[in-house]
Amino acid sequence: MNLFVIAVLVLIFIFLGSAVIGLLKGGKAGSDRMFKALRMRIILSVLLFAFLLLAGALGWIEPNGFNLLPTQ
Amino acid sequence: MSNEKYYVPHGTYWPIIGSIGISTLFVGFANQMHDVSWGWPVMVLGFAIIAFMMFGWLGTVVAESVGGMYNSQVDRSFRWGMSWFIFSEVMFFAAFFGALLYARVLSVPWLGGEYNNIYTPQLWEGFKAAWPLISTPGDVGQNGVAFSTNFKLVDTWGLPALNTGLLLTSGVTLTYAHHALRAGHRDALMAWMLATIALGVIFLGFQITEYGHAYHDGLKLTSGIYGSTFYLLTGFHGFHVTIGVIMLTVILYRIQKGHFNLENHFAFEGVAWYWHFVDVVWLGLFIFVYWI
Repeated sequence: MNLFVIAVLVLIFIFLGSAVIGLLKGGKAGSDRMFKALRMRIILSVLLFAFLLLAGALGWIEPNGFNLLPTQ
Repeated sequence: MSNEKYYVPHGTYWPIIGSIGISTLFVGFANQMHDVSWGWPVMVLGFAIIAFMMFGWLGTVVAESVGGMYNSQVDRSFRWGMSWFIFSEVMFFAAFFGALLYARVLSVPWLGGEYNNIYTPQLWEGFKAAWPLISTPGDVGQNGVAFSTNFKLVDTWGLPALNTGLLLTSGVTLTYAHHALRAGHRDALMAWMLATIALGVIFLGFQITEYGHAYHDGLKLTSGIYGSTFYLLTGFHGFHVTIGVIMLTVILYRIQKGHFNLENHFAFEGVAWYWHFVDVVWLGLFIFVYWI
């Protein structure tokens, strides 16, 4: 499950990278590429977040428990 | 695109003002670290000079751009400049994420005896590895316990999830703004930009609240490698969100002034990418700090 989450995060970064290439190219083609890549990255991000919440609620994945605060 | 000759900048005083600002900031910061009374105000003055320089210099660039002084070569220079800036930002956060993962996966287990117990006897004998490591081993002596049991779990479903939802929603509203810009729908563009800025400000408000709770409960920058990496990552992220909100506000002002059209809106694209990146960094934080 962790590998799946990391794989989707990597895919999101690939779309961000594709958007940078669009930004660098400029013009109509570059602008189109950038917009489509950023749109894909937000769709994937929202889906990943929804999956995490769903998977957490259904017990498929547990929070790592590292996020602790002292109680004193 | 008034001509095809390369644009050579005219003489300007902004670089020297920037140098004065950075020097003032440095002197103030260094003296503040040594508890000199005037260090703090001088540091703030340095910040103010840098902010003044940035608004003045970038304002000049905007005026020159709107005045038609830039050609396609300058456009290419801006795009390369933004790309290198993006690269530096990616490396900046990669270093902090790398520090977090290195400490969690490698160095702390090594100190606790993993990998044939090479490191433990030489450094802190008896050290028990645990994560999060909220004290520095040297602070707790030879039989130090690096992990206090007097800790409560932060509710992953609470503020962290809410803040993630807020930032992702701001990514959605920004995408709608981007679409509206490309379709020439100015009113929709301004409305979506306003929504994006508002979501960013709400995120920062919640983040400040969370910091207040964490700090009050004793999780400080000095709370071991966990406290250091937690505050460095989330703190620099919050700083980037603050800068992003300022940049989005400037872009909104420029939209209202009619600076962009369907073909020419590089500044919007640059800021949009930056906001998407800041959004993804937070998603990475949410995943690595709370889930994986």
